[in-house]
Amino acid sequence: MDVQLKRGLLDVCVLAAIKDEDSYGYKIIKDMKPYIELSESTLYTILKRLETADMLTVCTVEHGGRLRKYYRITDNGLKRIESFKDEWKEILSIYQFVTKEENGNDQA
Amino acid sequence: MTKLRFILSLQDRLSGLPQDDVEERLSFYSEMIEDRMEEGFSEEEAVSAVGSVDEIAAQIIADIPLTKIAKEKIKPKRRLKVWEIVLLVLGSPIWLSLLIAAFAVGLSLYASLWVVIISLWAVFGSMIAVALYCVAVGMGFAFAGNSLTGIAMIGAGLVCAGLSVFLFFGCRVATKGLLLLAKKTVSGIKNSFTKKEEA
Repeated sequence: MDVQLKRGLLDVCVLAAIKDEDSYGYKIIKDMKPYIELSESTLYTILKRLETADMLTVCTVEHGGRLRKYYRITDNGLKRIESFKDEWKEILSIYQFVTKEENGNDQA
Repeated sequence: MTKLRFILSLQDRLSGLPQDDVEERLSFYSEMIEDRMEEGFSEEEAVSAVGSVDEIAAQIIADIPLTKIAKEKIKPKRRLKVWEIVLLVLGSPIWLSLLIAAFAVGLSLYASLWVVIISLWAVFGSMIAVALYCVAVGMGFAFAGNSLTGIAMIGAGLVCAGLSVFLFFGCRVATKGLLLLAKKTVSGIKNSFTKKEEA
């Protein structure tokens, strides 16, 4: 997949993974695994970028005698998911246009 | 590999990078390993699932901007003593100018890469301009009755146009190579910053 495209998609996926409840690094990777594979290093970069963009906040919680970082989505993050849904409709219509073109060529 | 060894060798590889960045990354990976172990993986499995130290270190170094790495290097490790400050101030005509010179050399090397790219494309552009000009002037000659000169000019113009096509492909390949070189230069400088610390 195109790197630029995948980067944008991964950002939204991570936001979706923390949308309903706060989550932590390993759980995010686990939840996303059936849909899209993600390495730890990539996740770190994405989380950092989303935090800088004010789309999520980080809080440290004690868990079993050690510290664990939980990520919580912000209003900006929720807005990003909504705008992604709108963008996706555009992409779908572009996809239809592209494949229609192909079908037309096949018939010609 | 145990978790401790993993974290220590990653820390070793990242020495020379900004301290707060390194600590945050290390705690991130350590949390990942612990969460896996909590889920029932053995320590060995949990560490290897995170990835190899080399790969992770390479990606982290690529992520952190060069300016941040350089700033970290320049920052003194401890408070300076009064005599050191006095020496620094007194010596500033020497070290400051040397530093500026070194920086200027680096910058001009980088800039010259770009200049080469720009001049390649400028040659390409002028080739096209000459081609158009020759054809136009050649037509002018031909209409004025001087048909031999006109045809010669138009011919020369077409040759230029043909050459410009070759030049276009040449320029494109050269630009790609030079951009790669520029990128490698930056990552080479980054690596030299982190390597010095190990020695």
